[in-house]
This record gives sequence, C-alpha cells and structure tokens, in this order.
Amino acid sequence: MNDSILAAFRCAVNFIYKTPKRGLITDTFMGVKKARRGGKRDKSPSPPVAEPEPPQLSEREKDLQELKKFDLDCKFGPCTGISRLQRWERAALHGLNPPQEIKDILLKESTDPEYTQSLWCDYPL
Amino acid sequence: MFSDVIVPKETLLSAPGSEEPVFARLQPSFSGCLERCRLGERSFSRQYAHIYATRLLQMRDILADRATQKWGGVVPIRKLCDLQTGEQCIIVGTIFKHMELQPSILKEISEEHNLLPQPPRAKYISQSDELILEDELQRIKLEGNIDTPKFVTGSVIDIMGAEKNDGKFTVEDFCMADLPPQTPRQPLSSDRCLCFLLLASGLGLNGSRADSMMGLQLLVDMVTGQLGDEGEQSGAASISRVILAGNLLSQSTQDKDSTTKAKYLTKKTPAGSVEAIRLLDELLMQLVASVPVDVMPGQYDPTNYTLPQQPLHRCMFPSRYFEVEGFVVSLRFLGTAGQNISDIVKYSNMDDHLEILESTLRLRHLAPTALDTLGCYPFYQKDPFIMEECPHVYFSGNAPSYQCKRVTGPEGQDVLLVAIPEFSSTQTACLVNLCTLECEPVCFSSFSTEEDEDNEMNISH
Repeated sequence: MNDSILAAFRCAVNFIYKTPKRGLITDTFMGVKKARRGGKRDKSPSPPVAEPEPPQLSEREKDLQELKKFDLDCKFGPCTGISRLQRWERAALHGLNPPQEIKDILLKESTDPEYTQSLWCDYPL
Repeated sequence: MFSDVIVPKETLLSAPGSEEPVFARLQPSFSGCLERCRLGERSFSRQYAHIYATRLLQMRDILADRATQKWGGVVPIRKLCDLQTGEQCIIVGTIFKHMELQPSILKEISEEHNLLPQPPRAKYISQSDELILEDELQRIKLEGNIDTPKFVTGSVIDIMGAEKNDGKFTVEDFCMADLPPQTPRQPLSSDRCLCFLLLASGLGLNGSRADSMMGLQLLVDMVTGQLGDEGEQSGAASISRVILAGNLLSQSTQDKDSTTKAKYLTKKTPAGSVEAIRLLDELLMQLVASVPVDVMPGQYDPTNYTLPQQPLHRCMFPSRYFEVEGFVVSLRFLGTAGQNISDIVKYSNMDDHLEILESTLRLRHLAPTALDTLGCYPFYQKDPFIMEECPHVYFSGNAPSYQCKRVTGPEGQDVLLVAIPEFSSTQTACLVNLCTLECEPVCFSSFSTEEDEDNEMNISH
C-alpha cells in the first residue's frame, strides 16, 4: 500500500518536475545544498561535467531543420500561408539566390506535408 | 484632331445616288497583355503581408538606382536596422499614413468605446496625420521636409535625411521611382494617319430610369456611322476601337435592401442589375457589329469587389462574345475604371484626378492604397500593380470632368494622361488619335424635358 502510494507520488513528481535531459529538479537542488553545507570553499572547483554527446539526427530530421532555417530567414519574405516551394520560387524570381539544396529537399519529398508546408501551417490566419 | 477629319460634304438632302458609299474601318492589330491580372486559383487563406513584402522587394533596386542618380553615390543607403543617430543617409521603404479619421473595424467593434459606426466622409485626412516609413523589419516616424497630406499608405519611396535623438527621422528630400522604361512608339503604317480610339466610362445604365440613353444612342450611332453625311461617316470609320472603362451600370442597380431584408421577402423581386445588363447587351450588340469593343468592369458592375476585377462573364452577353481586354500593339495603353484614383482622393488632399493619375505614374504603381483601403486579392508572388513598362496612354475612368495632359519622363518617356469623364453626368467621351497621341472630348448633349425653349441636339467636337 505504501509502495503504491509512493510510486504514485513519484510518478506525479516525475510528471511535474521531470525535464528531458537532467532528471528531477529536486535531485539538482539537493545536490547544490549538500555541496554548500559540506564546506566546499576549501576544495578546488570540480571540473565541469562534460556535455553529453548530441544525439545523432536522422536524415529526415536534418532536412527538417534545414527547412525550418529557411522558413525563419527573413531575407526571403513572410513564410505563412504559402508552401515552402512557392516561397523558394518567389525568392528565385526576385533574384534573392535561395539555396538550391532547399529546393532539392522539397522536390525529394513533395508529398509529405511536414516538408512542403511552413512551420506555422497549423495556425489559423 | 477628329474635328479636322469630319468634313461635311452636303450630301444629306440630295436625291439618292446609284451607288451606296462604303467606308472601311481601319483595323490595326491588337493584343491583350493583362494576363497578370487574371486570377487562376483564388485562395484567400493567406495574409496580405506578402503583397507589401513583394512590393518592397521589386521596388528596392529601382529606388536605389534613382537615389544614386538624384543625390550621387556619396550618401549611403541604409536599412532601418542599421541607422545611426545623426548620420545622413538614404532609406527605402513603404509609407504608412496614420490617420485618426480612418475607419477602423477594431474601433467599431470595441466595446469599451461603444462607438457607432462612422458615417462615410468625403475625405479622411486631418491635421494630426503622421507619416511612418516601414521596411522589411522596422518602421520609423517621419518629420521635416515632407508634405504629409499628399502621400498615401502603400507608396514606396526613397528618403534622404538623418535620424535624430528622439528616434524620428528628419527628412531633407525624397524621391520616387518615376516613370519606367518605355518602348519607343512605332508609327502605324497608314498613309493619312487617321486612327482613333474612343474612350468612355460611367455609362450608368439603369433598368428603370434611362437618363443618359439619348446621349448613349447618339454615341453608338456616331461610331457605327449612322449619323451625319458622308464626310462625317467616313470620319467615323477612322475610329478603330472603343474602350468602355467601368461603371457600365449605375450605382442604383446595387440593391442595398437585398443585403438587409430577409431572403423570403426579396425572392420574387429581380435584381436591379438584370434589366440594366439587358440594356447594355443591346447597346453593345449594335456597337460590336461594327467596331471592336473592350469592356472594363467598374465599381458598380457585376463582378468581384477586390482588385483586380475579373472580366464580366460572357453569359451576361448572349448576343455576342467579345474580348474584355486588349491593347494596341505598337502603343501601350494602361487604364483603370477609376477606383484607385477615387480612393486616393479620399485619403489625401489632392482632388484633381489628373494630378493623382500623374502621381501614381511617378510612383510607378497603379494603386498604392490597394491593400489598405482598396480591396485586393492576396497576391504572394508579385505585385501586379507595379508598372514594369511605361504606357503611351494612361487613363482612368469615372472622373468628374474631362482632362488630359502630356507628361515626359526623365529618360524621354512620353505619356498621354486622360481622365475620362463619367458619361451619365457629363455626356462626354474622349477620342485619342493613335498616331499623334492627342486627345479631344466628344460631347453629346440632348433634350432636357424641364426646359421650355427648344434645345437643338448637337454633337460638338
């Protein structure tokens, strides 16, 4: 009974406080407090924890990141309401030299709406 | 001039001759070039920001060249985000005029203000108007040597000046895109060089009242050569085309009740425009039998409200099918039914249609207020109202009176500006000589039932 209550409590805490990479916030706080109480001033600061390796992105995720950067580049004008290919063609028409790689990615996956539509296509006008 | 062409030959009151004289109409070749105004897919599911973005994109290079020509390459051209206080520089952007009196839907529906909708006014300008220049990322208020009432929202211009400490930009001088390049006029291959084009607008046909029908019938008869003696008829044969620029139907055909009354009450009553279109069809049938006619829809005609208005549907004209757009090959004509000009009249201190026509030509943009106060389709790729090539004749319809003027551009462009008067009130049409680019009015006055003394019908040139 207690175990289950504890498990439920922990689930709730996990749900509320858990961040994707660092675990529970309560763990982090407790760690900082313990270090101060232990008279850390005498010790030399510990070397910073090495950043974990960024997860390898798949081909699809790399493409989507490139397309997002293209959307957010204000040089090519507003991106809402038109497809990415239409925006690319408009930029080419006005001599803004949009990168050819973007067009290749778009033509490669011309049926996938995540590729063809802009970042904010789900938002209404 | 047309009046020189009409040489009466005293053949009217003579015995019938053995042969009937036949006059051949000159037919120079025409081609339409308004494909950019035809709408293919009509999707309204996008914001209007695209038009302003493309407008600035297309005009930026042109304006940079003009700035270099006017002020030399010494003063740098800066974007608004790179401005430094006190530095003299040139900025390029779109004007936004902040007007207190401009009708705003937000003010109307705002509950805290509890305002009644504003009645329509003739002009919405006031002393407190401010000009703001916007580019792709930022905007800045303008003050100084710039005439605020003359400008309208949507004009793209160059401004030279400096930013002061209070964050406003002090204007020293400004410049506009001016006339676009023009292909030189090729003379029409005709010996006597007598080729005219008739421009008319604001016919104002109305099913119930036919005030201007007499004048219209006179116009049709003159063009089709059924008026006057042989000399005058041969003169009429030199009219090679007719352009009707907007408002073929009168404002009274727009039935306001139909929008407010319940449908079951208005079910049996036919729309006012049905009878009027039938009248128009009969009129055009007479004209088209003899001369090519171009019909441009206007503010009160049965087509879409937003610019560019699409051609009137051919089902309204069962008698004949004809092209609704077309322009002369060696001469470039550009014109509107007048909505863009009358919109600028409301939002600036200019009243003269011809002056506004010239200013839109200098701005290189047909309808600068297109998005803000004039309905427009949300284009995203290009702004179709930017003039890429300079026309030889630039006209607008439904002006209060006839006016014409020749203007020249910085590179030697030569343009005839014509403000076509409203036919229903002025009974005047315009004749343009295609060889010499001169224009003259043709007035059709007729009987007035209220006056006692006899009025003579006359067609004066």
